[in-house]
Amino acid sequence: MSLTLSHIPAEQALIDALDGATGWRAQLRETTRKDGLPTRRHELWKWSDLRRAANDVTGVGALTVSGLDALAQLADGDRIELAVRASAGASAGDAELVVPGGTSVTLVERLHGEAGALGNWHLNVRIEAGGRLDRIVVADHHESAVFIGSAEITLDEGATLNQTLIDSGAKLSRNETHIAHPGQGASVELGGAYILAAGRHADTTTVVHHTGPGGITTQLVKGAVASGGQGVFQGKFIVDRAAQQTDARMTHRALMLGEKAEIDAKPELEIYADDVQCAHGNALGTLDETALFYMRQRGLPEAKARALLIESYLAEPLDMVRDEALRDELKVWLRTRLGALT
Amino acid sequence: MLKIQDLRCKVETQDGEEKPILKGLSLDVPAGEVHAIMGPNGSGKSTLSYVLTGRDGYEVTGGSMEFAGEDLAALAPEERAALGLYLSFQYPVEIPGVPTITFLKEALNAQRATRGEEEVSAPQFMKLIREKAKQLNVSMDMLKRPVNVGFSGGEKKRMEILQALVLEPKFLILDETDSGLDIDALKIVSDGVNALRAPDRGMLVITHYQRLLDHITPDVVHVMADGRIVKSGGPELARELEAEGYDKYLGEAA
Repeated sequence: MSLTLSHIPAEQALIDALDGATGWRAQLRETTRKDGLPTRRHELWKWSDLRRAANDVTGVGALTVSGLDALAQLADGDRIELAVRASAGASAGDAELVVPGGTSVTLVERLHGEAGALGNWHLNVRIEAGGRLDRIVVADHHESAVFIGSAEITLDEGATLNQTLIDSGAKLSRNETHIAHPGQGASVELGGAYILAAGRHADTTTVVHHTGPGGITTQLVKGAVASGGQGVFQGKFIVDRAAQQTDARMTHRALMLGEKAEIDAKPELEIYADDVQCAHGNALGTLDETALFYMRQRGLPEAKARALLIESYLAEPLDMVRDEALRDELKVWLRTRLGALT
Repeated sequence: MLKIQDLRCKVETQDGEEKPILKGLSLDVPAGEVHAIMGPNGSGKSTLSYVLTGRDGYEVTGGSMEFAGEDLAALAPEERAALGLYLSFQYPVEIPGVPTITFLKEALNAQRATRGEEEVSAPQFMKLIREKAKQLNVSMDMLKRPVNVGFSGGEKKRMEILQALVLEPKFLILDETDSGLDIDALKIVSDGVNALRAPDRGMLVITHYQRLLDHITPDVVHVMADGRIVKSGGPELARELEAEGYDKYLGEAA
């Protein structure tokens, strides 16, 4: 007896869109053909049911990426801007980036899924010995878009990754980062902030695999979710037997701005070495009513006081962005999203 | 200026029960006067300060409170602030991530906007705050730190008075401003408060001890017990309370 999976229109459209594709896109096509889009029955997708979210997606769409040319020739101090745009319908695209040893590069990815899009974007990165990548991802989608961004990042000895991801959500927005961390002077900083209005979902999924000794990883993700919004955080640190003296710290904190806000968090440590410093913290809370009253007593209107409190709460991970102009730009972006929320 | 008539208020306790705290309190503070309210713990002094400023969970069940001709109960906390009502908190609140200087500028301009006045420009504001900070021995470095975060009890109280100097309210309520202050800080804070005394400004000084009133001499002293004013008199009443305690008023209230 053989079982044939019946594809929903979005799955068929994605398979069609990737006809003749190679590499990562071919893999995506074959996985989709064989298993369909992941549903909440998959452990890794239990709070982000992609098949259900893509239910209304039909037809083949286009994923356009501008700025790719700059990836081919990198010089120390370069700042690259990639604008990734998914039109209505199913689409996928990928790119590769090698940060040469000893150079420092800033990459800004601006992701935008349009109404009715099922966009897939994948980046494969290698940071060579002593190289540094400052990666900023701004996920700014239409409320009815479905968008999956993912990255495989491999560090060599002495390499540095500083990543900051901000997301205002979509019908479903997921950002996955998989990091191979060799230790031996390499270090990883992961920052993230999400701010979600009603009807919006954002999923931050990260896996950091420590394979060699002495690796340092710091992660701070903060979120604020309005009633009817859903924030998901899945963080995993794996520390191999060989990765002694790893120092890895994961923190996720989020504010529930209304009674019907949903926040799902799964911080995980998988440790096989015995001489390590690893910790994870996860805290959900509500806005401090006493602080709110204090601010109003000084004359700030309630909406303004709320916005100021949320902004200061979410600003902490953005302070990890090294470039001051970029940091300010992200804070302005955040303020604008907050304005729309309150 | 502030007219409170037969005010009654209840508060929801943590177990969800409603408890009457103010039980017919009447008080009249004319412009230019400083009134002190003294009373034992639990008499309702802090509740009065929260009811006047509009904190959630403090429900007016009877009577009236009028400030500058407006019915306070009908106004949101920020509207009362814009009218010129200022509360110096017994426990000033920490606001991580918001620099004091930013907070104060936002607050001042929000109040001015509500009153239909022009915004204060950044240079004007810096000049203003420098001058006031000096008066209270507060460093600019402290002002750059987040509101009240990591400040000692005395520093927090100094900041409360500094905020009042900048916002220039018409009426100040000082809730246990002397608690947590050593002698030197008490002097600095009282000097700040005295500098705010003006013919068009009223003050209500809530305190448990007479100590603060040695520095800020009140025009009238009220004794509060069990949610009511049970006696009023001149500054000598504060000294009498210090010597004899509150016992006899507790008897009267019950």
